[in-house]
Amino acid sequence: MEETSLRNRREDERSVQSIQSKEPKTTSLQKEVGLLSGICIIVGTIIGSGIFISPKSVLSNTEAVGPCLIIWAACGVLATLGALCFAELGTMITKSGGEYPYLMEAFGPIPAYLFSWTSLFVIKPTSFAIICLSFSEYVCTPFYSGCKPPEVVVKCLAAAAILLITTVNSLSVRLGSYVQNVFTAAKLVIVAIIIISGLVLLAQGNTRNFENSFEGTQLSVGAISLAFYNGLWAYDGWNQLNYITEELRNPFRNLPLAIIIGIPLVTGCYILMNVAYFTVMTPTELLQSQAVAVTFGDRVLYPASWVVPLFVAFSTIGAANGTCFTAGRLVYVAGREGHMLKVLSYISVKRLTPAPAIIFYGIIATIYIIPGDINSLVNYFSFAAWLFYGLTILGLVVMRFTKKDLERPIKVPIFIPILVTLISVFLVVAPIVSQPALEYLYCVLFILSGLIFYFLFVHYKFGWAQKISRPVTMHLQMLMEVVPPEETPE
Amino acid sequence: MAEDKGKRDSIGMSLRGCQTNNGFVQNEDILEKELAPGSPPDSVVTIAGPAEPTLQGARPYAGMPKEVLFQFSHQARYRVPREVLFWLTVASVLVLTAATIAIIAVSPKCLDWWQAGPMYQIYPRSFKDSDQDGNGDLRGIQEKLDYITTLNIKTIWITSFYKSSLKDFRHGVEDFREIDPMFGTMEDFENLLAAIHDKGLKLIIDFIPNHTSDKHAWFQLSRNRTGKYTDYYIWHDCTHENGTTIPPNNWLSVYGNSSWHFDEVRNQCYFHQFLREQPDLNFYNLDVQEEIKEIIQFWLTKGVDGFSFDAVKFLLEAEHLRDETQVNKTQIPDTVTQYWELYHDFTTTQVGMHDIVRSFRQTMDEYSREPGRYRFMGTEAYGESTDRTMMYYGLPFIQEADFPFNKYFSELNTPSGNSVFEVITSWMENMPEGKWPNWMIGGPDSARLTSRFGEEYVNIMNMLVFTLPGTPITYYGEEIGMRNILATNLNESYDVNTLLSKSPMQWDNSSNAGFSEASHTWLPINSDYHTVNVDVQKTDSRSALKLYQELSLLHANELLLSRGWFCYLQNDSHSVVYTRELDGIDRVFLVVLNFGESTVVNLEEMISNIPRRMRIRLSTNSAYKGSEVDTDAILLDKGEGLILEYNRKNLLHHQTAFRDRCFVSNRACYSSVLNILHSLC
Repeated sequence: MEETSLRNRREDERSVQSIQSKEPKTTSLQKEVGLLSGICIIVGTIIGSGIFISPKSVLSNTEAVGPCLIIWAACGVLATLGALCFAELGTMITKSGGEYPYLMEAFGPIPAYLFSWTSLFVIKPTSFAIICLSFSEYVCTPFYSGCKPPEVVVKCLAAAAILLITTVNSLSVRLGSYVQNVFTAAKLVIVAIIIISGLVLLAQGNTRNFENSFEGTQLSVGAISLAFYNGLWAYDGWNQLNYITEELRNPFRNLPLAIIIGIPLVTGCYILMNVAYFTVMTPTELLQSQAVAVTFGDRVLYPASWVVPLFVAFSTIGAANGTCFTAGRLVYVAGREGHMLKVLSYISVKRLTPAPAIIFYGIIATIYIIPGDINSLVNYFSFAAWLFYGLTILGLVVMRFTKKDLERPIKVPIFIPILVTLISVFLVVAPIVSQPALEYLYCVLFILSGLIFYFLFVHYKFGWAQKISRPVTMHLQMLMEVVPPEETPE
Repeated sequence: MAEDKGKRDSIGMSLRGCQTNNGFVQNEDILEKELAPGSPPDSVVTIAGPAEPTLQGARPYAGMPKEVLFQFSHQARYRVPREVLFWLTVASVLVLTAATIAIIAVSPKCLDWWQAGPMYQIYPRSFKDSDQDGNGDLRGIQEKLDYITTLNIKTIWITSFYKSSLKDFRHGVEDFREIDPMFGTMEDFENLLAAIHDKGLKLIIDFIPNHTSDKHAWFQLSRNRTGKYTDYYIWHDCTHENGTTIPPNNWLSVYGNSSWHFDEVRNQCYFHQFLREQPDLNFYNLDVQEEIKEIIQFWLTKGVDGFSFDAVKFLLEAEHLRDETQVNKTQIPDTVTQYWELYHDFTTTQVGMHDIVRSFRQTMDEYSREPGRYRFMGTEAYGESTDRTMMYYGLPFIQEADFPFNKYFSELNTPSGNSVFEVITSWMENMPEGKWPNWMIGGPDSARLTSRFGEEYVNIMNMLVFTLPGTPITYYGEEIGMRNILATNLNESYDVNTLLSKSPMQWDNSSNAGFSEASHTWLPINSDYHTVNVDVQKTDSRSALKLYQELSLLHANELLLSRGWFCYLQNDSHSVVYTRELDGIDRVFLVVLNFGESTVVNLEEMISNIPRRMRIRLSTNSAYKGSEVDTDAILLDKGEGLILEYNRKNLLHHQTAFRDRCFVSNRACYSSVLNILHSLC
């Protein structure tokens, strides 16, 4: 954390200077994120609230402790493989925006546009909204013992959280990443508490649930693949760092290093936390607990069991901040490429943040929390996320042949991207085959409907569209004091 | 450290310098120019100062750099909205947070699971047989969970299934930590509990702390005076000569005759409130209290959601052993052999008994901390006066039972508006403030309703318990209107009268009513099973089962029924009339029930300003559902009940005339704007 504060102080001085003495200074996103912050972003966004509340999706499919732990580990390995592919991509094409620039490079603008279209309007804002809603529900639940908190309470607090995170992140990159570090630290504290008390309990001989831990294993292919499917979701977020490549200091070193350290760290945490849970809970109890970490806290940490819900709330809001931090960059990059309104790629003159992008993201997310239930929407669109992961990694394979001359500081063996692509295909197809629903078709239609806008506004660039967008851009610029990013003057 | 930092930074910079020139930047430049044609070169501006003279006359344009921007952005027309919007955002964060806190602060305590829905009491030996031995078992219950969920039940209550040698398996437990083999194994129990929880239901079980079986290991050790077990039971010296015992005092067992029995092994008498095979535990002994606590913990650790504590009033007996007073003073003491011939001032509800019950509550509280895992405690207070029953609700600062089971309806033998009304008001008026009522129509220890009142009363009684405030408790079979079996050919020797209401559940038309595939069931199936069974009633829209499902659905969905005020309007020998209302909801449920012969009820005489016609929300006669009645003359058949619905702004509990006829457990009001309950009323 010391590193951050030092950097922060310097940055503070700089921005103070730039405002007060009106010294010339490039208006562009600064290289703010070091290795530690990078790891924080990876760990902070992957470990959301899931492992604390319902780490049961894997167990419910394997029904035994042993295979459950093995699948958690295997998913960690798969996530690392996927992330390694992204490390190659990230060091080859050092642009922020995650999959977007890679799809652009590999397949041209249309897939990239469809990706940004789907991500910006559905995937990212809904997940931001969902995380804020679950944070809010988590905070409110203790006040409503025995029943669910009323919707209006949950939504009020979620909206407040979204607005607060959006404000913080558009005010200052420094503040945003500071918040991220604090909450990631809080998250790691509670993870450490759970792991250590679990190990202590294990040493005391609470191994009842590990005996015959392979008994009752379901060996059907369907069950195992479902367990994998759910397990991999717990690792979703392994590509977060690719969204902010441009802000990474020394990306060639830090991007791969953060991935190599971050994801195995998460895997280790997941496995040890599961072990800790099993020291005090039988598989059945774990499956039926409403909030596993809280149950654990009540049984192990009493009378200090209140720390668990408190820190889980921190962890959740930290995850929300993380998604906001990274997804804001996607809007920014898409705006810069002209795939979204140009103004979205502008940067605040005084604060050096992609404020329009973050505000846009916050507004969309706020709109999503107003209607009744967006969980189902998120569930159906989740297959789209893997569709784009798969496409991106396929792009890596394609570029090995089409763009041989690009410098690749990291080069993963070719079988890794091929394997990950195959897994993605499976993860896209599996839910559709196992539970076919018309909603998947609607999702595909929505994704393709992006093409209409693409051809109207991006490809043909109708004059009347320009006539509207230009004054809007101008006024917004002056309202928010934002300008297009400048090149580094070196 | 700082130097180090700087070094790293510069490396970063120079590295970036090497790779800036990729395809994207160029692409962007082109786009930029297309977007803003005619703009001054916007690539890099290195000259200092926003007040750069050459830019002085420029007009703002889309994509302008900061030098142009700064000339205009400080104008009031941009600065003011910018500031306003910023502070508006800050303000809305604060307002939203404050709103959240405010709503949480005014929210009333919400209903716990044991308050939220009906309980369903199962006598496990008679519910469903899964292994063809003629006796119901735990796996049978698990098979029928889907049926129970169709009844909108929230809590399943399984009566005693502990290892026991007594044939009726209610009392006389041999081992409190074992399942009787007849009902299955501990694994069956764990599976059942997991299945119940999977369905979002809760399980409560019976627990009889007062006594054990004489085959219990403790008793065997106690009669040998082994260590701490010596005083686990209540032993006293008594004279035993030529096969006759002279007991220490005149105390009687509940089933008649002396409650003292001479034990040859220990050469002393032991005390038993019930059968002589059921010796009473000595609750003055702290070791015994500890044992009981551990048994409670054993089941709570298994995941059981609550207990019904049986026969708790018998826990303690006076240590002075003085004779109890005879009811009829002139009776010759030697002929006093029946339980009701004595006043039981020294053998029931002794000082300290409630402390023991409260200690059970404390043990359960330790297991209630996990969210959503509150452990329910009910006490069985059979044959107690209302005042004494209410003691089990605890004192304002000392929690005891969540509720003592209200068995007064199951003690009624003839239906009448007045007697039903009296049961309701005596409970509601004596219940401590803020506590939660409950209502049961029958149970394993009383005759079934259909046999006490008649079949016409099945629907009306279900309607009654579902529209009263509190938790309705249904004994299995009441939802289809099962009746007692006839007391012939029972090959069970143990107290035949208590078996009549325990006949096997009637599932369908097949042999043994679908209860068992065995050739012989432990109790005969009631002969009416061809018409009274689940399968037939499921498809018949006018059946008792259908009405039960509609009632439980109404109870689950209507705040009026779960949280509303209860105001009674009138009663006579025939009918009972009451309303359910809630501040903030301008609908009122008016319940009219007729327990006598056909009668005409005039509602306009009871309350002023009511509409001339009202809509029937539910009726025991399904033909009337959804139609309307004239409020000045509602004709009701024998056993007919109606739930009427009408709009009203001025609620009864606000009117002085009705104020002391209205009750509510947890005051709450509804806000239709926010769809929340609040306590600002």
